[in-house]
Amino acid sequence: MSFFRRLAAQWVERYRRMSIQMVLSLSFTAVAAAGILLMGVSLVWRFTAASEELTAESSQRVLAQANLNLDSYLRRMMRISDTVYYRTIKNTDLAEGDLTGDLSLLYEENRDDLVSLAVFDGRGGLVSAVPLSAVKRDAAPEESDWFRSASRSMENLHFSTPHVQNIFDDPDYPYRWVVSLSRHVQLTRDGATESGVLLVDMSFSGVEQVCRDVTLGGGGYLYLIDKDGELIYHPRQQLIYTGLLEENNRAAASYRDGSHRERFQGLPRQVTVKTMGYTGWKLVGVAPARSWMDASLQPMLFGLTLLLFGIFLIAFLNYLISARISDPIRRLELSIRELDRDLGSVRIEEGGCYEVQRLSHAISAMVSTMRHLMDDIVRQEEQKRRSELEVLQSQINPHFLYNTLDSVIWMTESGQQQEAIRMVTSLARLFRISLSKGKSIIPLADELEHARHYMNIQQIRFKNKFTTEIQAGPGTEGLYTLKLIIQPLLENAIYHGCASAEDDGVIRVTAYREGEDLLIDVEDNGLGMRPELAASLLEEDRPEVRTGGSGIGVRNVHQRVSLTFGEGYGLTIFSEPDEGTLVRVRLPALTREEADRRQRGEVL
Amino acid sequence: MKTTRKSNLIQIGILAVLGLAVVLSLVVPQLFRGRRDPRLLSLSVMLRDTDSSGWNAARQGMEQAADELGAELRFLTLTTAGDGAEQEALLLREIEGGAAALVVVPADPENLSAGLERWMPVCPVVTLESPMEGAAGTVSPDNAALGGQLARALLRDWDGGEALLLDTAGRCAGVTDRLEAAEAVLLAAGVPVRRAEELPEEAPPPWVMAFEPSATQWTAERKEAEGWDCALYGVGTATAITAQLERGGIAAMAAWSDYAAGYLAVRRAVEAARGEEGELTPLPFSILRREDIYAPENQKLLFPIMSSSSR
Repeated sequence: MSFFRRLAAQWVERYRRMSIQMVLSLSFTAVAAAGILLMGVSLVWRFTAASEELTAESSQRVLAQANLNLDSYLRRMMRISDTVYYRTIKNTDLAEGDLTGDLSLLYEENRDDLVSLAVFDGRGGLVSAVPLSAVKRDAAPEESDWFRSASRSMENLHFSTPHVQNIFDDPDYPYRWVVSLSRHVQLTRDGATESGVLLVDMSFSGVEQVCRDVTLGGGGYLYLIDKDGELIYHPRQQLIYTGLLEENNRAAASYRDGSHRERFQGLPRQVTVKTMGYTGWKLVGVAPARSWMDASLQPMLFGLTLLLFGIFLIAFLNYLISARISDPIRRLELSIRELDRDLGSVRIEEGGCYEVQRLSHAISAMVSTMRHLMDDIVRQEEQKRRSELEVLQSQINPHFLYNTLDSVIWMTESGQQQEAIRMVTSLARLFRISLSKGKSIIPLADELEHARHYMNIQQIRFKNKFTTEIQAGPGTEGLYTLKLIIQPLLENAIYHGCASAEDDGVIRVTAYREGEDLLIDVEDNGLGMRPELAASLLEEDRPEVRTGGSGIGVRNVHQRVSLTFGEGYGLTIFSEPDEGTLVRVRLPALTREEADRRQRGEVL
Repeated sequence: MKTTRKSNLIQIGILAVLGLAVVLSLVVPQLFRGRRDPRLLSLSVMLRDTDSSGWNAARQGMEQAADELGAELRFLTLTTAGDGAEQEALLLREIEGGAAALVVVPADPENLSAGLERWMPVCPVVTLESPMEGAAGTVSPDNAALGGQLARALLRDWDGGEALLLDTAGRCAGVTDRLEAAEAVLLAAGVPVRRAEELPEEAPPPWVMAFEPSATQWTAERKEAEGWDCALYGVGTATAITAQLERGGIAAMAAWSDYAAGYLAVRRAVEAARGEEGELTPLPFSILRREDIYAPENQKLLFPIMSSSSR
């Protein structure tokens, strides 16, 4: 059992490792071959059965014809017997006349078929006979089978099996083989009737000729037996008599009329039996199995050739078709393998049949998309790196630091120590939040705190030329944001909005929640600008405008936000000349967990 | 890639095998067709008598075998009965003439064997009646057993007197075996025995034995003609011999089927010519008396059914 399991496992493994071409080719060929073989076997079986049936029909026809011929021959003998009995014996009183004349006439008319005609009285004494008129000295006709049969069954005519005629005294001792036809007759002597036996000895050659001329094809032959199976005629009769050959005649005697299959001496054969009407003899036609096997051998071999050729053609076609299917797939696989090495220059082949073409096309499109995506990713990464570099640079903007420190010196010199302390403290807090342990996403509260400190510094520097309002709306507690996104906006608001305005400026920072988003508005009441200009501030191809602030532009903030959170996030600028500017930052409302995941890079 | 190449090779191999099978299925039937008709073998049959009338039944058997096995027969007789030299010369001529095998009733087996020694490997010889050294086989009854049985048949009738054993065999070993076996049995039973190559001019002793068919026939004919009152024991199944048995000219005879002998001899010769092995067993024989002739089994033995087509 384990052997078969192991074998099955081997086959499964082998099948798993097969190429698609091999699987297609072998599977289709095997199925087609099995179908063809099944059909071939079925045809052979039907053809053989039909051949056997034809042989049986042919044998039956031949036997029917032989039966007719033999029956005709025997009826002729019976008519001779009738003639002798009804026209001669019944009309002759043996006391007055002799039968010999009439018997001689009949004998002469039928001498080719007859050996002798004889009439015996009831005790076996010879009454009359032709052509020989004397019986042998020690002959005892009354002991012969033909005599006894006739005496025993008076109504019928009796046919003996072949035997050598041994009754009549013939100086030539011809020892002729005869078949004796005998019947009981009523002899008339002196007006009184007495029993007798009429003997018509038919030459065996007559029976032999009738049977010998019958031929069954393919080594078949015909033989004749009596009802007990005793051989009457056989084409190799003497070989059987001498024991050199055997025949299944005893078994054939038990067969009913029709065709039968039998195995004799190890060989299968078909035996067809036809019982003759009056005598009960049986004509037996023997057709060896090879007679119809041989006849069907050539067609079968031709069929086998066609079958093999069919399988060959199918195998060849399967080979070509499977190659047509698998080759483009193989080439596609090679192309994909090439992609591993070089994504940029590999060209995906789009050959083969329709489905493979579609697959190749889809892969080609996918590769193209991948190329674009990768280009995008590269570009975005580049931008990100640049933005972050700029942020890093902003953290240590020397100009801003110089100005702030200069202000601190000036305040210290002028005795404004509390102001100086506040400024330095804010600067320190500013830098601490800027660093934020290297994190890019920090709590919103820290970002707002950062903005507050920045504005503290700037307010001192600009001598409270503007006021600042920073507030966080409900629902923003615990939310996170990209760091240093408010400061650049405040810087813009100061330098471009309030610095050159005549009135006192108000810069308002408001963080609030809108659905799943966090919005931070940086609003000033400064100079404002035309809406078209406001809209163009975020365009990528716009030249960078450096300010005297931290150096981080509004566009940088916009890029960082949209690169980090996607296209839907970023900045929107609303502005009207002389009315002020509102810069709105839209961010996803990040919780602490989401912020951590983004920080770890789990979310792109 | 390696798998693909291997798959291609396997598939091309399968296609090649299938193609080869197609070609073979076309060629093989033609080869078999050629084998179906083996060439007709030419066989020569050589008797040791001057005519073949006594061998009719054997000839029928030979022709039956030749017909079945694909051979053609040439029957040859001698100008002088029992002439071993003439027989040898004729056989050599037949061999040179291209005979595939020979069936011989050897007149002088010893000399014939020596004469044909170098030819027998290429032209097998099967003998009837007498064994011969180097022959592919011998078809005959057990001659010694036959002679002994025939002598015992005589002993059953014997009521005194000398038995004449006709030594007509010359150098024919099979016939000599019969004679010697009969002689031994008779001598053992105390029967006075005398050998003679010919019948005496005057009346022979009351018991006469002949050991070959022709001697049996002419002794019976002479006995009938001369009216001798002696009991003859002979061999053979020819019609004339059977008729003598029926008429009482022969008291008992040893009979075997000449038809079977002829058939077996030709069959073995064909086998030998085709290089096939074959085995021959001694022919069964019977000792028949007058009353046994018409027993059904003896009818089949003594009176072979001759096909009317070949008669």
